[in-house]
Amino acid sequence: MMRRTKQQRMPTRRRLIDASLSLLDRQVLDIDDVPVQVVTDIELSEVALDHPIPVGSPAPTVTALLSGPVLATRIFGGRPPTHRLHRIDWAHVAEIGIALSLSVRGSSLDVTWVERWLSGHVVGRIPGGHDDPE
Amino acid sequence: MILSDLLHRPVLDDSGDTLGVASDARFAVTDDDSGRPAEVRLVGLIVSRRHSGSFAGYERTGVDAPWPIARFLRWRHRGSFLVRWEDIAEVSRDSVRLRSGFVRHPSSLASDDDGA
Repeated sequence: MMRRTKQQRMPTRRRLIDASLSLLDRQVLDIDDVPVQVVTDIELSEVALDHPIPVGSPAPTVTALLSGPVLATRIFGGRPPTHRLHRIDWAHVAEIGIALSLSVRGSSLDVTWVERWLSGHVVGRIPGGHDDPE
Repeated sequence: MILSDLLHRPVLDDSGDTLGVASDARFAVTDDDSGRPAEVRLVGLIVSRRHSGSFAGYERTGVDAPWPIARFLRWRHRGSFLVRWEDIAEVSRDSVRLRSGFVRHPSSLASDDDGA
C-alpha cells in the first residue's frame, strides 16, 4: 500500500481515529524513514486519577508517544514503571499514516540511546563495525 | 495519564453497575495548514459489553471483507457503544465511572474522514 505523500494530503480538516487501530503498535519512522520505535502507549494531558472530573472539563489531548517494555504488563496487567517508558513529544509527529512519521531524526531522540550506545561501545569496536551495511 | 490508564478498565454507570469494558479510545485529529496532525483530542471511549479485544479494523463501516471475519467480529462486539468524554465522571485506577444520564453513541467509525 502506498503512503500518502504531503502533496496528496487534504487541506486542514478534522477526522476521527481509534487508538488501537491507528496509533498503538504502529511503527514510528524518523524524517529519513528510518525506523525509530513502535508505539506501545500514549501519553495524555493530565487528568487526575481517583478524582471527579468537573463538568465542562476539556478532553485530554495526546502529548507524546511512548515506547517501552509492555509485553509482561499486557499479559499480566498493570503498567511498566514510568521511567522505563521513552517518550517522543507529539510536536515531532508529522503524519499519521500506515506508520507514524516524525519531523526529526531518530538520532536526536532519547528513545534511541540504547542503539547509539551499543553502536559506539560494542558494534563500533568490532573489526568492520564502522563499515556501511551492504 | 497514559492511555493504559483508560483501556481495558471496567466502565460503570453512576450507580456502580458494570456496563462493559473500555476496549478502545476515539480521538479527533485536527491537522494544521501544512497537514501535520497538530492536535489529537480524546472524543470518548468505546465500551464493549462482552470483550475488550480489538475490533481488528472492522469498526470502520466500509470494511466488510472477508465477510466471515467481519460478521464474527461485529457479532463479538455487538452492543458496543461510544461514550463521550463529557459523560465520564471519574477515572480511577480500576474503573471508569460515567455520569448519570450518559448517552450511548454508535461505536462504528462512519468513515476515516468524518468530522468530530
